[in-house]
Amino acid sequence: MTGLATRTVVEPLMITGCGVVSAAGIGLDALADAIGAGRADQPAASAFPEDAPPIPLAAVPDLKVAEHLGAKGTRHLDRTTLLALVACNRALAGLVPALPEPDRARTGVAIGTSTGSIRSSSEFSRETLVQALPYLVRANLFPNSVMNCCAARIAIVNGIRGVNATLAGGQLSSLAALRYARNVIDRGHADRVLAGGVEELSAQSAWAWHLARGLSPGTAVGEGCAVFVAESRRAADRAGRPVLAEVLACEVRSTGGDDPRHQLSTALAGCVERALRRSGVGPDDVREVAPGATGQRGLRALERRGVRAVVGGRPGEVRVAPVLGETFSAGGALQLAALIAGWRRRPPAGGVALVTSVGHDGTAGCLVVRPPAGGAERREVRR
Amino acid sequence: MAEPTGRRVVVTGLGAVSSLGIGAPAFTAGIRAGRSGVSRIRGFDTTGFPHTVAGEVHDFAPRRLLRRLDPDEWGRSSLFAAGAARLAVADAGVRPAELSAGNAGSAIGTTSGESAVIERLTAQWVEGGFKELDPALVRQVPANRIAAAVNRELGLTGDAQTIATACSASNYALGYAYDMVRTGEADLMIGGGADSVNRWAHAGFYRLGALAEQVCRPFDVDRTGILTAEGGVALLLEEHDHAIARGARVYAEVLGYGVNCDALHPVAPDPGRIAECIRAAHRNAGVGPDDIDYICAHGTGTPTNDATEIQAVREVFGDRIPPISSIKSMIGHTMGAASGFGALACCMALYEGFLPPTATLAEVDPRLGDGVDCVPGRARAARPRIAQNHGFAFGGNNAIVILRRMS
Amino acid sequence: MSQATITAQHRRQLRDLVADVLELEPGDLTETSSFVDEHGADSLQAIEILARLERDLGVLIPQEDASEMTTLAGVYAVVARHAGWATAHG
Repeated sequence: MTGLATRTVVEPLMITGCGVVSAAGIGLDALADAIGAGRADQPAASAFPEDAPPIPLAAVPDLKVAEHLGAKGTRHLDRTTLLALVACNRALAGLVPALPEPDRARTGVAIGTSTGSIRSSSEFSRETLVQALPYLVRANLFPNSVMNCCAARIAIVNGIRGVNATLAGGQLSSLAALRYARNVIDRGHADRVLAGGVEELSAQSAWAWHLARGLSPGTAVGEGCAVFVAESRRAADRAGRPVLAEVLACEVRSTGGDDPRHQLSTALAGCVERALRRSGVGPDDVREVAPGATGQRGLRALERRGVRAVVGGRPGEVRVAPVLGETFSAGGALQLAALIAGWRRRPPAGGVALVTSVGHDGTAGCLVVRPPAGGAERREVRR
Repeated sequence: MAEPTGRRVVVTGLGAVSSLGIGAPAFTAGIRAGRSGVSRIRGFDTTGFPHTVAGEVHDFAPRRLLRRLDPDEWGRSSLFAAGAARLAVADAGVRPAELSAGNAGSAIGTTSGESAVIERLTAQWVEGGFKELDPALVRQVPANRIAAAVNRELGLTGDAQTIATACSASNYALGYAYDMVRTGEADLMIGGGADSVNRWAHAGFYRLGALAEQVCRPFDVDRTGILTAEGGVALLLEEHDHAIARGARVYAEVLGYGVNCDALHPVAPDPGRIAECIRAAHRNAGVGPDDIDYICAHGTGTPTNDATEIQAVREVFGDRIPPISSIKSMIGHTMGAASGFGALACCMALYEGFLPPTATLAEVDPRLGDGVDCVPGRARAARPRIAQNHGFAFGGNNAIVILRRMS
Repeated sequence: MSQATITAQHRRQLRDLVADVLELEPGDLTETSSFVDEHGADSLQAIEILARLERDLGVLIPQEDASEMTTLAGVYAVVARHAGWATAHG
């Protein structure tokens, strides 16, 4: 079909805040340390779900829920929501200047999660089978079984009243959330969006990876959440917020084919090309790549082939999965967080970085991210 | 080339996999007649449930409808979505080659994703532990597969975006699809929703005291709650000039949408925030309250929702409330597909000239105040020009789409 | 009806149940402290108390009696009426 009216260069999205919770711990410094060391310290066995399969796991060591979120209002929330609430709490706490109450009316939420908390929905479903009567379920756990619970709770806890989206994009969930955020900001539905992705490690998810044989040997099933404050340039300027990174483009493609694997690297290459073009930069400007499928059987080679077809093998790789495990819906957000964390340690020498992702469902995605001029400032709030 | 932000977006194809029938004509005929799609539940064992009816889809034959997907590899919600999308494309008369060669994608809303698959796995877990889970079923769980199924079935190469904002998800999806076409990110988008009837939602709504026993009676003085339901719905959104150039039938134009969040409570809706959402939708669509001729209500049939919704509408429209009806009176609450079915009903109402009824309404709740016309019984002949389609959800996720008649 | 018509053990059980739903320590509740005004309870938590009574203790409370359960004493009274737990000594 002709008549494609895609604008060549899109408005960049300013990342002015970041909260991250991962197997490395809480915050960008912990993440940078772990990526630098090539591994995260294993938490105590109590951090792992009971009934998990005999495969490597990578859990968030200590969520410090009460410290970050207060004592009340969290007892009946699930881990997906808690991970995201802590990440949002960190993202907002680190925002300089802080987000004033009136601005929260035009602030939105876009959270990537492939299936919500599969633990919550399957446990709720289980109750209908094991209780004396099928309706003897816990009423206040019902909202947890619905996928938008996490995004809605972020809004409730933080008084954020704008668009509130939950994006189920599988491996691409985090990229889908950033793409969604860019669109609603561009179209005037919001001035800024808390955008990111979350994944919870549960017995259910670990067994799913194990039984579906999705991971390369040695890859841990992970969890985590990264949430970014993404604003229009105008909103960031007006507030006078320093920028941690600029998301220049966020492109997604589907293979549309019967055998998605077959065309996945081609789809990703097309995606990267288009993303670079719409960012107004070329393949030679790419200095770093943070790939997504580094732990997934079959996908890793396809992803690398797709990226190399466009930018060659020269850019450095920032690989998150060997350190944090396979974090699925949170993957893209943790990849971006890893880049930002790295830039705070070693100010980058210009250029751009790519965050890429490919999924078994036949989708491919690419972010083009520019480091801030003069390096990222260290201004994460410490406790 | 037109200014990208000025591209107009129209609906040229409609697809429904519903309890009232397969295909938009069957669905519309049911709506116009005020027919009920509610029946005794077959999707799960209802032993022990005091309430045992739902709006299930019984005559869906994915093998007949789908050309590329193997139904054995996909969950029920994915098949609903792909089936509805296949119907919408056929209805629009778009050639398959045009779809796969062009810049086309999908945005599909859902509340519980592949809930029927999750429930089968849960039963395996209860019986034999996690190690007994069927890997083939495990692979069907992720909700992203719903939009992926649409892209795979139609050969679409653009966005495959499953949006999981619970019961307003279809309107969220339609809003996103609208923006993609309007800005030139895509030339064609499938927008819609899909969900499957499941035991856990039935139990949850029963436990909340929000489940009707036999009949869902939105706005009625004797309303007692929702009926759970399922289905898949798809609208083909296309750039206006492209549609005209190929001589397409245009059901309606999408004028815009509004989205916001109560940010107050997980299950109790807030009239003030819903009113703000209506105003945001009007601003985005460039219309005012006086322009709206019909409201397709969220209208779940719970005492709280319907009272809150009318209160919000009154806040915006004053005492001149447009006719407002709920198709949930016929098909029940199809969850993530609900506002998609609402949008389809609006398109047909604008195109054919009628107001969809609140079929089960016997007596309007006097506590809703004066001047509330819920179009009781059967469809009413009318010539609405602009329709407003509501979708609200758990978590206070509000989304409203505005549609206009083409003429 | 007297509010102290169920055993101390039943009262403790009910107190623990309500405290868990409202996310309090059992000691935070008094017999007359208002769930809504003093402990911030909402409609979902009210339904959950009802649900937990049926699920955990096998006591079926009609929906229309739920409105009486605004304090711990109210819960004791309603439960005593429907559970057949009433004793003369309390």
